[in-house]
Amino acid sequence: MASRKLLLGLTAGRRLRSRTHQLFSVANLLEASTSHSPAAAVASTQPSGGSPAALLFSLRTISSTRQATQSAGDASGRSAVDHKLIMPEDEFHKLADETIHDLLEKLEEYGDSIQMDGFDIDYGNQVLTLRLGDLGTYVVNKQTPNRQIWLSSLVSGPSRFNWDAATNGWIYKRTRANLVQLLEEEIGELCGTPVELS
Amino acid sequence: MMLRVVGKRLLGAAAGGQASPALAPAARRGYHERVVDHYNNPRNVGTFDKDDPDVGTGLVGAPACGDVMKLQIRVDEGSGRVVDARFKTFGCGSAIASSSVASEWVKGKQMEEIVAIKNTEIAKHLSLPPVKLHCSMLAEDAIKAAVKDYEAKKVKLAKADE
Repeated sequence: MASRKLLLGLTAGRRLRSRTHQLFSVANLLEASTSHSPAAAVASTQPSGGSPAALLFSLRTISSTRQATQSAGDASGRSAVDHKLIMPEDEFHKLADETIHDLLEKLEEYGDSIQMDGFDIDYGNQVLTLRLGDLGTYVVNKQTPNRQIWLSSLVSGPSRFNWDAATNGWIYKRTRANLVQLLEEEIGELCGTPVELS
Repeated sequence: MMLRVVGKRLLGAAAGGQASPALAPAARRGYHERVVDHYNNPRNVGTFDKDDPDVGTGLVGAPACGDVMKLQIRVDEGSGRVVDARFKTFGCGSAIASSSVASEWVKGKQMEEIVAIKNTEIAKHLSLPPVKLHCSMLAEDAIKAAVKDYEAKKVKLAKADE
């Protein structure tokens, strides 16, 4: 009983604290127990002391399967992480930031031009939030460990985009959709006026 | 009784004032009642033996991302029905609630039925905000991964018997 509380207490007790603290504590433990260290970025930070609750979480389960299935629409199941294939983090940030800033600019212009009620665009902490009045909200953010851009769409739900050098765009593996094109289609549809985001 | 009090208090804390359960969730930045419920009373927390031939294990996510879910199903070989489920999740309240819901919903169902469980249903059930839809997606992935693991095991065992 106590262990269960602690396991879940990991998030309760630490809800008010920075989430990054959580990530680095557990990631540090993971690093210690596996030969494959997931994100190089994690290794570069100093975790401030282990979190006792995290220790209770069965590391054996995580470490026994190396990097767990990336829910990136990868239907082939679990795959060990090959560091030579992971995009370097600064390259990822460059590409992702460029894309997101671009979207931000174009959507701001769009918002000004269509004068839609309740159209609100916000960019804070590297998260782009687009409110379309009562229709709902779009959220676009970077998911650095996965080298992905995550989208929460009020039409198509959650999706995760990987950089595709071949097409020079962000692609959702499951549907082969392109991030910018998808947003163009959906937002144009929702607001009634076509939008150019590329 | 205690739980409702805690739940109200939590929701109240988020609202920063008097918490009346009649207030619409949209009026405050708090977790929906159901998420709080699953967080305080998660269903089916635990582990099955991974090597049990009747057990399928789905492990999705990664600690670096902030979310890891492990969902295990025990399948009755004869009927192809999921007779029991367990989950363990490292992550936010929405992730825990999503996997708890998933562990509930798979019980008593056929494998074909559970792979049809959609993240949108889970998200709707928990009234997840846009930024947390990814948690429900992960739960859907966990179910599919568990089924896949079970099927792969069966194939391996069948081959071993030949």
